[in-house]
Amino acid sequence: MGHELAWELPVILYLFLAGLGAGTVTVSASVLLRGGGGGFGGRHFAIARYGALIGPLPVLVGTFFIVFELGRPFRALNLFKLVNLSPMSIGSWLLGLFIVVSLLYALLFLPWPTSISERLQPWRKALSWVCVPLGIGVAVYTGVLLGAMAARPFWNSPILALLFLVSALSTGIATIILAQTLLYKPPPDDPRAKKLFHESGYLLTASDVMLIGFELLVIFLFIMYAYLTVGNARYAIAVILPGGDLAAPFWLWVVLVGLLVPALVELFYVVPKLLYRRDYAAPRVVELAVPIAVLVGGFMLRYVVVVAGQVTGPVGL
Amino acid sequence: MFNAKNVVAARRHFVKALAAGVAAVAATVSGASRGAAAAATPKKTKRQYGMVIDVRRCIGCHACTVACKSEFGVPLGFTRSWVEYTEKGTYPNVGRSFLPRLCNHCSEPPCVSVCPTNATYRRPQDGIVVIDDGLCIGCKYCIQACPYDARFLNPVTGFADKCDFCIHRVSQGVEPACVNTCIGGARIFGDLSDPGSTVSKLISKNRVTVLRREMGTLPNVYYIGADHTDELDASRPELRQVHVITHRKQRQRR
Ligand code: SF4
Ligand code: SF4
Repeated sequence: MGHELAWELPVILYLFLAGLGAGTVTVSASVLLRGGGGGFGGRHFAIARYGALIGPLPVLVGTFFIVFELGRPFRALNLFKLVNLSPMSIGSWLLGLFIVVSLLYALLFLPWPTSISERLQPWRKALSWVCVPLGIGVAVYTGVLLGAMAARPFWNSPILALLFLVSALSTGIATIILAQTLLYKPPPDDPRAKKLFHESGYLLTASDVMLIGFELLVIFLFIMYAYLTVGNARYAIAVILPGGDLAAPFWLWVVLVGLLVPALVELFYVVPKLLYRRDYAAPRVVELAVPIAVLVGGFMLRYVVVVAGQVTGPVGL
Repeated sequence: MFNAKNVVAARRHFVKALAAGVAAVAATVSGASRGAAAAATPKKTKRQYGMVIDVRRCIGCHACTVACKSEFGVPLGFTRSWVEYTEKGTYPNVGRSFLPRLCNHCSEPPCVSVCPTNATYRRPQDGIVVIDDGLCIGCKYCIQACPYDARFLNPVTGFADKCDFCIHRVSQGVEPACVNTCIGGARIFGDLSDPGSTVSKLISKNRVTVLRREMGTLPNVYYIGADHTDELDASRPELRQVHVITHRKQRQRR
């Protein structure tokens, strides 16, 4: 390869963490909007709370990385002197807005005394309506940022932003599943709580399966269009096709570990309920391993895409 | 009526358009509609500085590279202007050609459209694409977006850096350092919007090319006699053995 990479680990981490955080908050807000405060004996609310409290953290950490990658952190303020049509300009404003809104949203989920907490419910709903579009916006922008350049044929695909969005939502769900598994154990002597716990797990896992399926489809389209093109995109995509420099991390970590295995395991537990209305009951180790695999895959997706875009370029002179 | 050839040609055209991406499609469309209007530069500037590089006169001595480095004190390992070699063929049928490079000061510069702070902009008075160090945040977006690898992050200042056509010299009526030093007279600088200028005359009288035309950037650096053989041609039987030497830290063109 012998290429100098202008964007390295901090940028990769930023794209991953911003997507993950935005996905987590989006999922949290959607769950809240769907199930209100009730649903599953409060489990809906609990899921929304995990997402709301965790979501802003990765975004802040990612932003920290990207700002300090600049070398002169305070220079980043120049971004907020104007708006222009650069995806980075629009994205920075979106990100700034998202950080403020998601922090406010998180604030509403702190363990307030019940009387206050009940009065906060309409505010939570209102902010959810803002969080969903903002979260989607941030996740999409991380893809548009890369996709906007003809000089980078690997990235210059309209479907890349969609891929990043789906991956962001899927890693967001994984984060919430992981949080629920780590932080909550249904009281063993209460079968009702246990059932509700599994039902909420089912909701998350089933959605995740769907998103992963969609993500696989988007990846297929991404590769297929590049491959069927004559010219730059075709030569660029070769780097992740068999024989390419990045084929191993892509197929092994992104597709197999990050998508196929989690999807199959999740399907194994989701299908009986879906088809035969059996109770969903995934063992704890599965509810730990699957989200971790999805998160690893999400990171590797950003890694492969960011590196692949920079080691390939237009052919011809 | 039904002409298979046309269909194939049309399809090929379509596929090509897809390959070159949105920018190129836009360029094709506007190129098609331009026709009689013949408006060469989409965003009119008062002057349009440009360069003609007559590759036939280049001897690959790197005097321009060195002059540029000393003019600006460019940090070690980086170049604003440089010379590439392309070697090709199998013995005894071999050839080597030179390709002096610099920022193309494009009329449709992608580096400008991605810059989030407007630090990179195209000067309305002369079409030179410059970087405002007071605004640049060193995000390297422009470095990604330039199809010519003309930009780098200056490790001393921490800002994006590249050729600026020696604004400090040309504003005083002096030629850029590389042009001034070129012993073969291969680099010719001037105002492209003036039909009487040397560069304009050279362009109208010679077969000229620009680099990576399909990127739709409308470069203002023209080449006479440039060899557009690239690494990809190495796999083709009639050429074989193509070897590109960039003389840069980035050994491969990207
Ligand atoms: S050659 Fe590159 S840096 Fe120079 S104007 Fe064109 S796109 Fe910008
Ligand atoms: S590195 Fe500087 S000039 Fe380049 S896009 Fe970023 S802010 Fe603009």
